[in-house]
Amino acid sequence: MATLSDFNGYQPTWCPGCGDWGIGIALKMALVQLNYSPDNVVVVFGIGCSGNMNDFLNAYAIHSLHGRAIPNAIGVKIANHRLKTIAVVGDGDCYGEGTNHLIHAIRGNHDITVIVHHNSVYGLTTGQVAPTAPKGMKSKSTPSGIIDQPLNPLTLSLTQGATFIGQGFAGDTPHLIELLKKGLQHEGFSLINILQPCVTFNKINTYQYYRERGYRLPKDYDPSNYHLALKKSLELDDGKYPLGVIYQVKKPTFTNQLTQLKERPLVENEERRKEIFFQLLNTFK
Amino acid sequence: MMTFTWKIGGEAGFGINAAGSIFSKFVARSGYYAFDYIEYPSLIRGGHNALEVVIADEEIGTLREKIDFLVCLNAETYQKHSVRLHEKSLILYDQAEFQPNGTGIKITLPFKTILSDLGGDLVMKNTVALGASVALLGGEIKILLEILKEQFAKKGERVIQFNQKFAQAGYEYILNHYPTLIHRILTYKKNNNKVVISGNDAFSLGVVLADCRFYSAYPMTPSSSVLHTLASWQEKIGMVVRHAEDEISVINHAIGSSFAGVRSAVGTSGGGFALMVESVSFAGIAEIPLVIFLAQRPGPATGMPTWTEQGDLLFAIFAGHGEFPKIVLAPSDHLEMLRLAAEAFNLADIYQTPVIVLSDMFLSESHRTIDEEKIRKLAHQYQIDRGKLIKNLERTEKIKPFLRYQITEDGISPCLLPGTDGFFYQANSYEHLEDSHTTEEALERKKQVEKRNRKIQTYLKNHFQTPKVYGNLEHASMVFVSWGSNKEAILAAIRDLEEKNNLKTALIHFSYLYPLDKNVLLSLFDKNKQYLLVENNSLSQFGNLLSMTLGIEIERKILRYDGRPITSYFIIDELKKNGDIK
Repeated sequence: MATLSDFNGYQPTWCPGCGDWGIGIALKMALVQLNYSPDNVVVVFGIGCSGNMNDFLNAYAIHSLHGRAIPNAIGVKIANHRLKTIAVVGDGDCYGEGTNHLIHAIRGNHDITVIVHHNSVYGLTTGQVAPTAPKGMKSKSTPSGIIDQPLNPLTLSLTQGATFIGQGFAGDTPHLIELLKKGLQHEGFSLINILQPCVTFNKINTYQYYRERGYRLPKDYDPSNYHLALKKSLELDDGKYPLGVIYQVKKPTFTNQLTQLKERPLVENEERRKEIFFQLLNTFK
Repeated sequence: MMTFTWKIGGEAGFGINAAGSIFSKFVARSGYYAFDYIEYPSLIRGGHNALEVVIADEEIGTLREKIDFLVCLNAETYQKHSVRLHEKSLILYDQAEFQPNGTGIKITLPFKTILSDLGGDLVMKNTVALGASVALLGGEIKILLEILKEQFAKKGERVIQFNQKFAQAGYEYILNHYPTLIHRILTYKKNNNKVVISGNDAFSLGVVLADCRFYSAYPMTPSSSVLHTLASWQEKIGMVVRHAEDEISVINHAIGSSFAGVRSAVGTSGGGFALMVESVSFAGIAEIPLVIFLAQRPGPATGMPTWTEQGDLLFAIFAGHGEFPKIVLAPSDHLEMLRLAAEAFNLADIYQTPVIVLSDMFLSESHRTIDEEKIRKLAHQYQIDRGKLIKNLERTEKIKPFLRYQITEDGISPCLLPGTDGFFYQANSYEHLEDSHTTEEALERKKQVEKRNRKIQTYLKNHFQTPKVYGNLEHASMVFVSWGSNKEAILAAIRDLEEKNNLKTALIHFSYLYPLDKNVLLSLFDKNKQYLLVENNSLSQFGNLLSMTLGIEIERKILRYDGRPITSYFIIDELKKNGDIK
């Protein structure tokens, strides 16, 4: 069985106090507790401070391009659907450059877990606003304050048909570990939006900010209730942050609906026999 | 070689393409060879469609100047194409619609009356025309009826019989009214098995032969039929074909599945490829095997979507930021398309890098008759080579990193199948160490750049193929230099020049376009010879590549960039204009 130290790669280079530390440790803990090991997990990292986790977490991994982690992860899953496949991305990465991929991954209910570091800024490029930045936020690219209103990832994914939506807080690791475990165990597409203070560039959405406005969903909250989930998701627009499993429903995954994958993963198929080629050739006579 | 060109034209939506593919099959089953070429606008209804089939008694892969038989399903067909008719050309038309006023033998056929008498729809004109064509060319109607039966098999017996009735009616009308005009062009002769495939079919068959199991694409003319064909086969052959949301997603799907160990390919045309380019570079540094099928059409931007051009050569060769190895192949005909498609997957695996198979609308959408035996032979010879991919590796007790980017002499590092017990590594878009962790160290950067670059030398040594030489370079007074789908047209021009002008010419033809081996190629060129570059673009892109790589400038150029393919008669016209021949 793998231990936490098996997952430990390089010592992280995140800023002291960065929310990514909490996310990094929570993800490793969740993987250990679910009995995964670095050799049976594929993690696809986007580009950004979040994606830099590539060197801090041991696993079969792809350090992808900015915005493209999701289609890489879908490709991995289609090729070998027995591998647990995770995308670790940022909110600029996933809600900006790669939003299109997010929406379509949801439509297909691809069995991947997308973990979004939601810090409302582009940390790695020195703090420009992300699509989740509150209206009016000033940054180097928006010196007079951002005109656009923030994107709401929870309502977006819910209304497009995501089968698992969770929200966590980087400052509450024990809760985040449990949430990640639920997301990783979900069969189908799971989005875990993690509120992550950027201590260097975001002076608005601080630990204090989220502690005051975030709250754990009550024990009797019913995540299968779509309308309730929609109501909870909309709270983001009012600066309130429900934490936990916002929504979960069971639906067949993309790979479960491909008859050619019924018996074994694509990668494990026997080499194609030449007879099939000759049969197809016959159809051109 | 006997050749005879049959051409059918009509309004878009009147089954011109379907009629053409049926006719090409008919030609093959009657014991002859066909080559067809479609002209159509980017529309579903309205506008003019035309398709020509060159019939020959040997294999043929190009168009001929004159139309010997023009089937006019409307007046516009005659107006547009009568310029290519000659005195003995047959013209099939309906005098209720128009009267041809020029040269040729006029054969009127009451399409409308036949259709309304038998309760048919106007869109079935094509079927009547097929029956009439078979009669006029001395073919066997039962072969046509059999093909129609197969064509409509899924729609049931009633639809089959309904269509056969109209073919039969067209056939009988000719026998009854024009018995003296029957030509013995397609008289049945016993023959070996033949297949009729398009360039895209050939690519699709190459995908199957190579055991590629993942193909993703976003529809784009002229590559789309590969997506359709493979999608229709996917369950039978155990492959996944995915129509993703955009081309960026398409290529990143394939990068993911290739990383996971499955042979993967994408298909597109210029605009879609432009969207993929950042990820081509990603596959280059992460060293992910990937086959890219790039079927060119005239650009820039949306350009002329349904026509042909070789305008993306330099774009393909230089696609991707940064420096990394890439292999570009351009098949010269349908059979080579099949061979190079399958070969591309071996090269991608061996060199762990993107391989581009360059086609164009002319090659992708034209059908050609090929003796089945040739393809069977090629298929039997093909062996899958997955290069340095390791599927099993003994683990140590402790999980340890695998040296994915190990420095090697040939530049190629061993690759381990992800999911293998006891190891881990990453495919990294950042510069990396041998163990795949990110690095910005100067020395490590240099080592990895040089390692990747060494793959180019290894390829040139082990897999690069020199261009094919046709004709005798020593005796030729003029040597054509070209690449990709122009080959057959140039070979036809060479034959015509020898027969009609007593002019000896030769061809140096490239299919392995990039990288090029300067040392090997220089010996092919002689300062005292006259070389003539032939390309289907306006800026002589291959000429530029040659001058960049070899330092050789080919002054004389035959360039075509009107959206139409290079033909032998286009080349000969250009030579006439220049005063080379009379």
